[in-house]
Amino acid sequence: MRWDREAKTSLCHGLTRMTRIKTFAAVTFLILICVHPRSSAADYSKFSHETPKHQATCNTCHKMVFPDIKDYPDHDACVSCHRPQFFKGARPPICSVCHSKTSPRDEARYAFRNPASKLQFMIEFPHDRHQDVIAMLRFSHAQQSYNNCTICHATRTTTFKAVPTNHSSCFNCHWKAQQPVATNCNGCHKLATPYVPATKPTRISIKYLHEGGGEKKQHIAECTTCHINITKAASLRGLKPDVPITACTECHNKDGLRQDLNTELVAIDKNRNFTCVYCHAPNVGNLDPPASHYLIAERPPLKRKDIR
Amino acid sequence: MRAPKLVFFALLLMVTVVLAQSQQPAARQTGVLRLRVRVKADDAAPLRGLSRKRFFLIPGTIEQNRALIDAIARQASTSRDCYYQKIGASAALIAWLRDGDCESVYCRGVEQDFVVGPKAVPEFATAFATSQKEFGNDETARQWLTTNLAADVRDGFYRSRQTSLAALLKQASPEVHSVMTDRNGTAYFTDLGPGTYVLTNLIPTELGQNFVTWNCEVQVKPGDLATEKPYLVSNRKDKNVKCVGIEKPKPVCATD
Repeated sequence: MRWDREAKTSLCHGLTRMTRIKTFAAVTFLILICVHPRSSAADYSKFSHETPKHQATCNTCHKMVFPDIKDYPDHDACVSCHRPQFFKGARPPICSVCHSKTSPRDEARYAFRNPASKLQFMIEFPHDRHQDVIAMLRFSHAQQSYNNCTICHATRTTTFKAVPTNHSSCFNCHWKAQQPVATNCNGCHKLATPYVPATKPTRISIKYLHEGGGEKKQHIAECTTCHINITKAASLRGLKPDVPITACTECHNKDGLRQDLNTELVAIDKNRNFTCVYCHAPNVGNLDPPASHYLIAERPPLKRKDIR
Repeated sequence: MRAPKLVFFALLLMVTVVLAQSQQPAARQTGVLRLRVRVKADDAAPLRGLSRKRFFLIPGTIEQNRALIDAIARQASTSRDCYYQKIGASAALIAWLRDGDCESVYCRGVEQDFVVGPKAVPEFATAFATSQKEFGNDETARQWLTTNLAADVRDGFYRSRQTSLAALLKQASPEVHSVMTDRNGTAYFTDLGPGTYVLTNLIPTELGQNFVTWNCEVQVKPGDLATEKPYLVSNRKDKNVKCVGIEKPKPVCATD
């Protein structure tokens, strides 16, 4: 320690002020050279909307053909600026932005948009506003569809609802006149730092069936009856398919009806290693039940480790 | 002499930063308001849940929100029927909107019966014909029919209410919460800081021949949804009703 301090002191004192400034300048210059992206090494196999020249109006490149944008822009959109990159070598890297094989004999393209690439836009969707105008029971003489949420959220599996993957559920109202219209991409799509979207939201009560509820299919209800926060959601950010335990226990833990929650809490009392399975998969069913569950059962909350 | 001092201050700064970062934020206690809105259109009608109506929760007491409450009372309200009569909408469209208690044409799907045949709504029939030409497919033409309706017909009434709402909300605290009731008239305000709020519908709700306005003071305490008893809202007095609305007869529509 003492040696270090002496060495540093003598090193600093040994250099003139001018020499120190020059050394500092040289090191800074070297760092800048290393850190700064070199234009000659641009990677044309990756397309970014963040590039200033790629921020023209969307229809400069993307052609809206009723009823949706279905494919990548035509070659013209790229060639107008990137002619040199198009004719560079036998396998120009720029082709791989859209084409799965960089060969003039193979036109095969990735699905549009390429599911393997990161998302470059966030979607603004105010559920609250859409709830105001469309979320009522749909009248249908043929089959009673229970909520207008199904316009966008059709059933994907018996448990989960799907989210829109194209514009069909938007454009039937927003095709023209009703803003944001089909040509006003920026009305919904906001440029963002590229990100990988979450593949699926966390499901806690994974055994829930949207079409279930016994023979009477009592789970078929208005979506907002259980998804209680959706009518206040002005943005998709932080949105969760949150359902309070009370939505379940109105039927599943009611005197004279069912006691599904109480039964499992009692089972934990008897065996702290009991796994709650009525609603949950084991990864959740092995955890301590949250306070809300004990509140419903009108009991003080317990930790498994405290149960003998 | 200067170096040890500098080192000391640098260490002190580092410790402060580390401590500040490691401090866990105090768990924010929140409360819930479980709203249950049950109304009667008239004395003979049964009590029913008021579905699909938006309610607002504004921080502060009624007195603190006096300017807003007065503005709510002063606003001139137009009923849906009067609005659509004024823009020259057909009786069939007015009836179609009334049947669904709709503020715009978006609130229910337009079925084939309302496009052609004896129940057809003239505005829908015209838009359908235009859509057929544009989209070349009857099913798409029906489903995308609203894209060929005039703006006022489409959602003019809804937009006029939104304009009034925005003007009123400008006078309220920026921390306004809002939710919409479900088909049973239930809605939940969640993640509320404990305190006093004004529960209001801001824009009068049409109920039979009347407009109803609710402005009530509510106390929110920290708590969980699981224990929260419903806060009953109605247009009729009852021992369980915590918030009774003020009713005013709807004005007669102006005739040109």
